[in-house]
Amino acid sequence: MELYRLTAAELSRMIHDKQVSSTEVTKSVFARIAAKEPEIDAYVTLNEEGALKKAAEVDEKIAKGEDLGKLAGIPIGIKDNMCTKGLLTTCSSKMLSNFVPPYNATVIEKLSAQDFVCTGKLNMDEFAMGSSTETSFFKKTKNPFDITRVPGGSSGGSAAAVAAGEAIVALGSDTGGSIRQPASFCGVVGLKPTYGSVSRFGLVAFASSLDQIGPFGRSVEDVAMLYSAICGKDPYDTTSVRREYPRFEENLSADVKGLRIGIPAEYFGEGVTEEVRASVMKAAHEYEKMGAVLVPVTLPKPDYALAAYYIIACAEASSNLARFDGVKYGYRASSYNSLEELYENTRSEGFGDEVKRRIMLGTYVLSSGYYDAYYKKAKFTQNLMQDMFREAFRQADVILSPTAPDTAFKFGENSDDQVKMYMNDILTVTVNIVGLPAISIPCGFDSKGLPIGCQLIGNKFDEQRLLNTAFAYERQIGGFDLSKTLG
Amino acid sequence: MDMDIKRLAKLARLKFTPEEEEKYAAQMANIVAMVEKLPDLDASGPLIDPDNPMEFRKDEVQRNYSRNELIANAPEVQAGCIVVPKTVAE
Repeated sequence: MELYRLTAAELSRMIHDKQVSSTEVTKSVFARIAAKEPEIDAYVTLNEEGALKKAAEVDEKIAKGEDLGKLAGIPIGIKDNMCTKGLLTTCSSKMLSNFVPPYNATVIEKLSAQDFVCTGKLNMDEFAMGSSTETSFFKKTKNPFDITRVPGGSSGGSAAAVAAGEAIVALGSDTGGSIRQPASFCGVVGLKPTYGSVSRFGLVAFASSLDQIGPFGRSVEDVAMLYSAICGKDPYDTTSVRREYPRFEENLSADVKGLRIGIPAEYFGEGVTEEVRASVMKAAHEYEKMGAVLVPVTLPKPDYALAAYYIIACAEASSNLARFDGVKYGYRASSYNSLEELYENTRSEGFGDEVKRRIMLGTYVLSSGYYDAYYKKAKFTQNLMQDMFREAFRQADVILSPTAPDTAFKFGENSDDQVKMYMNDILTVTVNIVGLPAISIPCGFDSKGLPIGCQLIGNKFDEQRLLNTAFAYERQIGGFDLSKTLG
Repeated sequence: MDMDIKRLAKLARLKFTPEEEEKYAAQMANIVAMVEKLPDLDASGPLIDPDNPMEFRKDEVQRNYSRNELIANAPEVQAGCIVVPKTVAE
């Protein structure tokens, strides 16, 4: 058995029991990267030397009998919008193509405390703006199930790397579906945690009130394990929430008897393909077989959610991205005659098309005369949506829907029609707007052999129940099938 | 829809060619048509999030970065200072 094919939970037990060394695991993953990366292009930056050095360190600590964390020696890939000290962090943008952070994001500090092995930095849509990873300045990541198709986005590199065995698990970030939609497209598990449960310190900001870091894995247990490692209050992020966070992977239970699963008809409607609908409903019926009860719930209309999402996200992005001016770090234009021109030329040359479009939209909705009509109204829509979810969670314990309306599309298929591209996020954005946790799990394949994702939405900070529900399905079907991409 | 692309570009510190301006105007018209689908609701009153009282940390000097570490990413440095074009007219 090739080591790269195993899960983090399996490898962790083997490393701790000295059945394998972290060096062997790390070498297996880098051999896999060498074989697959030419066709998949999941990484912006590889960290082979650093990874092998860290693996050797872990092996030495284990030989000495030191008590190490569960993720010790496990090769983990990091989305390229999280700051890694001394390792290039580009956000897949020309603007940050030369940026080497002098500090670690809090999530990296937490993983480092467990002695993880960083394989490298994973490709993404530029500044996490996109649903296909096509807006990356550097390369197009391919879907390991079909290399003529996109891996989804914005965390497309993370999803593709985990599916193809180029990382055991990975971190991504989710502002409107950027973990769940690529997880769905690449047949892996992806969790978008409750807003405030994971520190955003050191995550390059896109839309601060919506952004959240989360884990990718090939099993629910792996996702639970990585989530346990990164969650918690951080004094460097005032929006992070102080509370007791359990060791989620130690409390996994596959018992769903009596669980009330909400089915929102609006999220199975227009735009959702018949194959996706049938496959996701089949998963719902599996839960029924296990003793859960399906109940109808009413959720905010997806149209409202998408409108409110793009207004809030772009408004915050236009403010957040104002910092990229060519002065203190990042790209600087080579020709300019004044400070004003330095700003304009740097930003016009450094940002790609999609980023500029979103900055312009954000500038428009925040400009005087339009603020009330757009931004303020969107924020009130957000409140209305929160009320609707509160009501839905009186009737249901978790809510089940498709993750994306369709399976992975071909390169260029949606590039010229922004609104069509944005529709990819129609079933995921609501969750970000109301700050809830949600997980995407694979629930079958379409007739083209492409994976379909089922989204489970939980109440605030109810990650344990969400993970348990996902775990029950995984057990029931005998594990997720990645034989096509790991072989 | 009345969208002054030139003015917005100026506010956002971006520069576009006339062809780009035309392209952006058309694309943004489509996007704005999408985001106008908000429900008809009363949007007066204050915006606060009662669920999320923020907890501030004490403003204490903690992290210690060296000057060199911090300016290592600057595009142009002279004598430990970041170089920018002249901002004051003679």
